[in-house]
Amino acid sequence: MHALLTEQKSGRGAGNRNREGLKQMRKNIMWRLLATLFAIALAASACGGSDSSDDSSASGSSSDAEETEVTLAASGESLLDTIKSRGTVNCGVSGSAVAFSELQADGSMAGFDADYCRVVAAAILGDANKVNFVSLTAAERFTAVQTGDVDLLMRNTTWTQSRDSEVGMDFGPTTYYDGQQLMGRESDGFSGSSQVSDVGGSVICTSAGTTTEKNIADAAAEAGVSIELQTFEDFDTVTNNFISGACDIITTDGSGLVGRKAKQQPDGENWVIFPATPISKEPLGPTYGQNDSAFADAVNWAVYATIIADEKGLDSSNVDMMLTGGDTETIRLLGGEGELQSGMGLPADAFYQVIKQVGNYDEIYSRNLNPVGLSREGSANAAWTAGGLVYAPPAR
Amino acid sequence: MSDVNQVSADAEEEQFSPHETPSLPVGQWLRKNLFSNWANGILTLLGVLAALAALRGVLNFVFSENRQWDAVRTNLRALMTLSYPESQYIRVWVALGFIVGLAGLSAGIWANWGGVSVRRISTWLMGTGALLALCVIVREPSVILGSDGKVIRSIDGSLRRESFMDAMVDRSTWWIAAVLLLAVGAALWSRFSDPVRRRVEVSVTSVVFVGLGLAVLSLWIAPYGHYAFISETKSYIAESGRTVAFSTKMPWTVMLILLSCFFFVGRFFQSGRYLGFVKGASNLLWLISPLTLFWVVLRDPALDYGHVISTDLPMGLAFGLLGGALLWGLTRASIGEAGRITATALLVFAIFNWVAAFFGWYPMLQKARISFLLLALAALLAPNFMGEVAKRRQLVLGWVGVTALVHYLATMINTPSTVELQSTEFLGGLGLTLFVALIVVLLSFPLGVLLALGRTSKFPIFRMLSTSYIEVIRGVPLISVLIFFSVMVPLFLPDGMELAELAAVLTGYTLFSAAYLAENVRGGLQSITKGQYEAADAIGLTPAQRTGFIVLPQALTVSIPQLVGQVISTFKETSLLAIIGLFDFLRVANSVIPAQSEFMGVKREGILLVAMIYFFFNFTISKYSQRLERRVGLGER
Repeated sequence: MHALLTEQKSGRGAGNRNREGLKQMRKNIMWRLLATLFAIALAASACGGSDSSDDSSASGSSSDAEETEVTLAASGESLLDTIKSRGTVNCGVSGSAVAFSELQADGSMAGFDADYCRVVAAAILGDANKVNFVSLTAAERFTAVQTGDVDLLMRNTTWTQSRDSEVGMDFGPTTYYDGQQLMGRESDGFSGSSQVSDVGGSVICTSAGTTTEKNIADAAAEAGVSIELQTFEDFDTVTNNFISGACDIITTDGSGLVGRKAKQQPDGENWVIFPATPISKEPLGPTYGQNDSAFADAVNWAVYATIIADEKGLDSSNVDMMLTGGDTETIRLLGGEGELQSGMGLPADAFYQVIKQVGNYDEIYSRNLNPVGLSREGSANAAWTAGGLVYAPPAR
Repeated sequence: MSDVNQVSADAEEEQFSPHETPSLPVGQWLRKNLFSNWANGILTLLGVLAALAALRGVLNFVFSENRQWDAVRTNLRALMTLSYPESQYIRVWVALGFIVGLAGLSAGIWANWGGVSVRRISTWLMGTGALLALCVIVREPSVILGSDGKVIRSIDGSLRRESFMDAMVDRSTWWIAAVLLLAVGAALWSRFSDPVRRRVEVSVTSVVFVGLGLAVLSLWIAPYGHYAFISETKSYIAESGRTVAFSTKMPWTVMLILLSCFFFVGRFFQSGRYLGFVKGASNLLWLISPLTLFWVVLRDPALDYGHVISTDLPMGLAFGLLGGALLWGLTRASIGEAGRITATALLVFAIFNWVAAFFGWYPMLQKARISFLLLALAALLAPNFMGEVAKRRQLVLGWVGVTALVHYLATMINTPSTVELQSTEFLGGLGLTLFVALIVVLLSFPLGVLLALGRTSKFPIFRMLSTSYIEVIRGVPLISVLIFFSVMVPLFLPDGMELAELAAVLTGYTLFSAAYLAENVRGGLQSITKGQYEAADAIGLTPAQRTGFIVLPQALTVSIPQLVGQVISTFKETSLLAIIGLFDFLRVANSVIPAQSEFMGVKREGILLVAMIYFFFNFTISKYSQRLERRVGLGER
């Protein structure tokens, strides 16, 4: 607005003067230059090209102001149809959660959460690569779902009562059962069987502004021990302070601690994780906006398909063989006779594509979490038949 | 010009390099400046010890056995462009090559860096050699690694280090390099020591090109190691002892060739009769190429030719031709008051279009709104071009050019990219940082100058508007402005109108930076004495001429230090983009690399590299501005 008025001023000033000579021309060139720059500024800012292909003109023409975006709220249409017409799944992930969603050196997203985004894309669109990963901070994740920036979160989001109700989220099947634990040094007298009551007088460190802070304070108060709690900006800093000896104990979700121990434990030291039963429950899984059953069913059953496949011994290498040679439930799951996918708005071979392109639960888990020292055996993430909690309703 | 350089070079020598002052030998200089009394001597010794301790600390940090430099080496591409796909990387090189070529051309046309005496070069060489030798000595001996590649600890837990002599033998390569540098430097020094040869100079340009040439040559022969991330297998390659990958050294060689070729092209035109044209063309290219390279070359828009032919082209033509005809009419000498009324009406209509857009009253293509606004501005400028046919033609042709450019860019920006992204970020890393800094500086400069002029204007309305704008923006932190533009502004936009994150950020950052720039320029404006204004008025210059030819040139010259300071802080503050979710290269080092399972928690290495890159760019800008200040004689009057 201001630049506008100044231009106007120049116009008026120019009107009043007597015109002469060569210098005049050069001055005009100056004003024209400024006008050009202003034009470029406008072009760059105001007409707002979008890098995402999620507007209705994805076919390649201009997205003009009038072409309104189809949103769930406006039309009552399910997100499932929106995704199908758009051709990509916008999946919110953390982007800096080791082994769950990490940006690799070539800019691609990898990890357990990232693979579950691919599972959803394979089920709905038949192509596991049709995912647009959006890195979100903890603070902005729910807003991103509410505004429609992302279709769902696969972002280490704990399923809690308040989020399910007040925040307006719905939660899919838990893909990873986590829980807050503590890590200390064996040389300080800690062992795998230590309890929170053993940490009296220790300096305990964790990252600032998370629920881990509150959990450990509650647990210590309950156990009747006094601790000195220190918080740092992020868990890298926390770990560095643990290595340098400034912290006696660090605490966060067990999955994070195992990774740190596997990668950062110095030679000659032994770090131990305790207590065996975590001090908090952190069920992690897909999260999406509430009241969209069609989309919720698609996501949930894509996740269940990976679990059922694991139970049936169906994986990406033998899925073609099992297409005809499996039992009736397997064949139904893969889109053979009597399949149920079409009825819920998915392609008949949706789960075949999931298993073929991404893999079953065990494959996804081993591929991403074994390298950082997390194993399924004996944990809550073992199959229900092996004493764990990973369980899926039957596909029939 | 060369005289000026000579004088300033001498001044610099007196200040920094005791060797060059013939009247005062080293010993006496030391005694006079550093050991003049015992307190001074103690301070000097303490200072030297502190510097050595700092150097030792840095070297020990860099070469510690705990450092995982592989994390940075394999992530170099992530640090530069983050997710830009490797298969289309040629686009990055083409964009870079264009900028490099343009830089070469500009350097060829304008650069007159003078000469530097061979003796001075020899002191540089000797200084580098001595520093290298010092580094080799002060760094503590390395830790002994066992056969399994792990460190060996004594019983008390301390690390075992090799002996000092072993360490010196291990570092023989560095010794050889240091001795070579010292020897070459000393040889040059003694060969050019007699009074006649003392003055022998080589041009700075050739020194720069030799330096760049050696750097590129070293890519082909020096064993920097081959580090890469293989996307297909998700695995890392880390082979030390090899030269860098072909896909790295070949493009850089081409870049050097481009730079040299265009430098000579520039030199060729420097003496030719087309100099004015080439200067104008290169200036124009600097202005439009960053946007074009980013939105057209890097994004590779998938043009829908049906839509282009049915809508975009006709609209552009209509605005260009009809607008041109209108402007032609408005510049008629006999137009009188009618011209001003038409222009004002057009402006009201253009502004109303935007107001309507915000309320969603009636639909109109976004490009049309912009074009109407531009046309209104051009109509306001029309009285400047009244009269002769040549001048009228100038305005019309200028309008057609601006329309073509704006419509072209707007079409390209609005067309989806075909680049296969692997994540949501189109461009990240250093590429994003440099792009944002460049655009913001380019766009905020004219806006800032206009604001400064507005604030010092005689007209109360301009003064009030500029002052309140500047004060409001300056009263708000940059983070708030960025968050406002990335979170709030999209909420105010009408349905269906979208603002890409990057465009929103660029707008906000430009508006912010312009306010600060305006204050810097205003400082310069206030240093212009009243006599200059009066003199300009006395010889009959119009207010616009007075501003353009008398006031601004002097004001801008005076504000060079503050303006450069603003450029540097703009560049550094791009790191705040991380707050609103963009991946600038500090964020890549700070949170992307430490989150990779391979390099969990490896953060300090990347941050050190980022700090060095920031320093390199800012130091270069700073040195250049010092040179500029000397050339315009700032601080010498």
